[in-house]
Amino acid sequence: MSQAEIVDALLAFIGRPGATDAEFEALALRLFAYQFAHNAPYRRFAQQRGRTPLTVRRWRDVPAVPIKAFKDLTLSCCPPEAAERVFMTSGTTGSGRGRSYHPTLAVYDASMLAGFRARVMRERERIRMGILFPDEAALPNSSLAHYLALAREQCGTPDSAVLVGSAGLDLDALLRALGEAEASGEPYALLGATYAFVPVMDALAERGRRFGLPAGSLIFDTGGFKGQSREIDPDTFYDGLSHAFGVPRDACLNMYGMTELSTQFYDDGNAVCPPVKSGPHWIRSRVVDPLTGADLPEGETGVLVHHDLAHFNSVSAILTEDAGVIAPGGFRLLGRVEGSASRGCSVAVAEFLAAAQA
Amino acid sequence: MSDLEQAGHLPGIPADAVGRRIVAHEAWGETVAVALPSLSEEQAKALCGHVRIRARDTLRRMETARIVAAIDRASACLLDRSHPLRRKAEALLPVVTGYDRETVRLGLTSTLKTFRRPQLLRFLAEDFFNPGVLDGFQPAVKGGFVRAQGPALLLHVWAGNVPALALWSLVAGLLVKSGTVGKLALAEPLTAGWFARAIAEADPELGECLAVTWWKGGAGAVEAVFLREADCVMAYGGNETLAALRAKVPVATRFLPHGHRIGFAMVAREALDSRRAGPLARLAAHDVVRYEQQGCYAPQMLFVERGGAVAPGEFARHLAHALAATASRHPRRRLEAGEAAAIAAWRSAYEMRALEGEGPSGGTELLGDLADPWSVVHLDAATPLSPSGLNRTVAVVAVDDLAEVSGLVAPHRAYLQSAGIAAAPARLFRLADDLAGIGVTRISALGRMTAPEAGWHHDGRFSLLDLVTVTEIEHSAEAAAEGFAPYAD
Repeated sequence: MSQAEIVDALLAFIGRPGATDAEFEALALRLFAYQFAHNAPYRRFAQQRGRTPLTVRRWRDVPAVPIKAFKDLTLSCCPPEAAERVFMTSGTTGSGRGRSYHPTLAVYDASMLAGFRARVMRERERIRMGILFPDEAALPNSSLAHYLALAREQCGTPDSAVLVGSAGLDLDALLRALGEAEASGEPYALLGATYAFVPVMDALAERGRRFGLPAGSLIFDTGGFKGQSREIDPDTFYDGLSHAFGVPRDACLNMYGMTELSTQFYDDGNAVCPPVKSGPHWIRSRVVDPLTGADLPEGETGVLVHHDLAHFNSVSAILTEDAGVIAPGGFRLLGRVEGSASRGCSVAVAEFLAAAQA
Repeated sequence: MSDLEQAGHLPGIPADAVGRRIVAHEAWGETVAVALPSLSEEQAKALCGHVRIRARDTLRRMETARIVAAIDRASACLLDRSHPLRRKAEALLPVVTGYDRETVRLGLTSTLKTFRRPQLLRFLAEDFFNPGVLDGFQPAVKGGFVRAQGPALLLHVWAGNVPALALWSLVAGLLVKSGTVGKLALAEPLTAGWFARAIAEADPELGECLAVTWWKGGAGAVEAVFLREADCVMAYGGNETLAALRAKVPVATRFLPHGHRIGFAMVAREALDSRRAGPLARLAAHDVVRYEQQGCYAPQMLFVERGGAVAPGEFARHLAHALAATASRHPRRRLEAGEAAAIAAWRSAYEMRALEGEGPSGGTELLGDLADPWSVVHLDAATPLSPSGLNRTVAVVAVDDLAEVSGLVAPHRAYLQSAGIAAAPARLFRLADDLAGIGVTRISALGRMTAPEAGWHHDGRFSLLDLVTVTEIEHSAEAAAEGFAPYAD
C-alpha cells in the first residue's frame, strides 16, 4: 500500500463517525503492515517481540514502542528529509528530543480539527480566542504551536490573538482582551500550556483582578507544568482558574496530547479530578503492565498505550510513561509513571540521574 | 496471621499511653498488620530523657564484656530456630519485606551470626587497639592515659527493607555504651524492636538504655524533638532524605550519613575456564538474587574480561541460566508498579540501543523474556557503570582488560562501596589498589557481596571509632598528681 492510499484511507476513516470495531482493527492491521514494511527500526523492534504482520491478528497485539524510542531512533516510513514537518518534544525531560516526522500534515490537521470541533467547539462555529503559547513562527517544531494555530485559524474569530511574544506573556493585551470579552457578553476561550496559566493567575491575584467571563466561555490547558512553573495540584489549579476568570470548572477543559501522536484526548471539564478522558474513533487506549505489555483487567492501574491510526508515518502504537486506569467512556490519567527508588539502600536510576545532572 | 504485631521497644513509657499507626503488609498470600509507635512530643522528650539518664547511670558503668554477653544472648535467641522470636521472624518478615522465606531465613542467620561473642570481640578489636579504653583509662602509647566514650544519646535513623540491616548500627552504638534511640524503617519495622526486646530480656538494665520507635519522616515537631535531644545522629537513606535530615540537625550535633550505594563485580579471564565459569555465574546470581539488589552491597553491573576460555557473552548466558534456576528456589517478590516500571525502562533503554545499531544486535544483547523474573543484558562495548533496574536485572559488560574498569566506575565515586572480584591473587591486589584509589571501600569474593564479614567497615569508616570521643589524661597531669599524693616525699 502506498502512502497516498494510506492517507486517503485515513481521511475517509476520520470522516466516517460510527466506524465499527472491525473497521478499526482492519485499518490498524493494514497500518501495522505498512509501518513494518517501511520503518526499519520498528520492524526490528517488532521482530524481536515475535510480532509480524503474519502473526498479529488483533490491534491489541500490535507491538507498542516505548515513547523514549522517539528520542533514540528515527521512526519514520518516509525518508526523514522528505517530511513536510518534523515535530519535536520540548526536551525538558532527560536528554535528546523525541521527533515525529510528517510527510504531509493533511491527516494530522484533519484529526486535530475533527477532535477539536467535537470536544472544544461543540455546536459553535467560531469563538474569540486568546492563546497563551508562542506561535508557529517562534516554535516551528512544536506540535502544540501548530495545533493552536490551526485552532485559531479554523475556529477562532478574527480578533483572536496570540498573547505570548518574544518577550514572553503580554499581560496588558491579555487584560485588555479579557476586559473586552467581559464587557461584550460574547464567550471567550483562553487556551494555552498548563504552566502558562500559573503566572497569569499570580499576576491577577497580585493586582486583585478577577474576571467574570460571559457564559459559554472556556479555559483550555494542556501539557502539565513540565517544571516551567511551580506544580499545583489539579483541584487547586482548576479552582484558581475558575476564580480568576469566572468560568465554572466544568468549562475548564484539559487536552491530553503528545508530540508522538497525531490525535488528542479531551475531558468534558474538570469539575472532578481526574476526569475521564477520551478521544475520537480513530484512536484507542489500553492499560498495560509495563513489564509484560499485557492488558490489565479493567479498573487496575497501569501504563497507558495509545493506538493512534492517524500517526501513520511513524508508529501507531506507543507505550507512554503515563499511568492510567480504564473508566467507563475512556480512561483516567493518573500522572507520570515514576520508576521507584530502591526500597533498600541501593542506588536506583532516578537518584543516580539526579546526581549526574546536578 | 491477623494478629497485630507491635513494633518497637519503649522503656519508661506506659504501653497503653502510646499512639499507634497500623500499617498492613501483604505478600505471599498473607497479610501482616504492624502497629508502629507514634509518640507525642512530650513522650518523645520523656523517652529521650529516660534513655539518656539510664545510660548515664548504668550503661556507662557496665563492663563492655557484659554488653557483649547481652548482645550475644539476644543473637542466640534469634539464631535458635525453635525460639518463639525466631519463629515469628521467619513467619512475618517474608510478608513484611516481600522476600521469599528461604532468603529471609538464610539472611537472618548470616547476619545474626556476626553478632555472637567472638565476632563482637573482633568488631571491637577491629577498631580499638585496646578495647579496654571503653571501660576505663588505659595507658596511651604517647604517654598519659586515654578512655573512649560514645555519645550520651545516639539517634539512629534506619532505612530500607533489607532485614536486620539496622542491627549493625544498633550493636555499634551499644558497644560504645551510647544511650540509643532508633527510628524504624517503614519497609522493615520489626527486627530492630525484636532485637531490642531480646536484649532487654537478656539484661534488663541494658534494655532500659535502648529504645526503638518510629515517627513520620519530615513530620515537624516530634522529629525535631529527637533531633534536638540527640548528641549524634546516624542516618541511612537516599541523598534527598539525608540532605533534608542534615538541614534539621542542630549544628553542634554530629551527623553520620550513610547514603545509597551501587555495587559491581569483576571477573578476570583466568577465572573464565569451562570448569569455573558455571559455578562463578551461580555465585554472581546469588549476589544478584539475595535481597533483590536492594542492599547497597549488591552488584548492578558485572565487568567480564575477554580472552578467557569462556567469552563474556557466554558468561552472560551462564548468568542468565543461573538466575533462571534460582528463581524456582527463591521466587522474586511481587513488584510494585514503580518497580516494574523501573525494570521496563531499563530493559527498553537497552532494547532501543540494540535496535539503533545496523547489525542485528548492535553489540547489545538482551537475555530473558519480559515475562521472566530476571533480565541480563550483555554489552559488547566497554560501558560506564550505571544502575540496573534492580530486582534481578544486571548488565554484563565485556572489557579487554579489567584494568579499564576503574576508569569506567570512577565517575561515580560518591556512590561506590562494594566490588566483587574473581581474579588471581596478584591481579586481585593490583585491581584492589586501583579501586581503593577511586573510592571503593569493600572488596569481596563473588557470592559474598551481600554478606559483609563481622567487623566490616561500612562505607570504609570505623563503625565504632567514628562514634567515640576520647578523653586524655596528659602525662603532665599524671606527673603533677604524683606531687600531691599522700606518699609524696
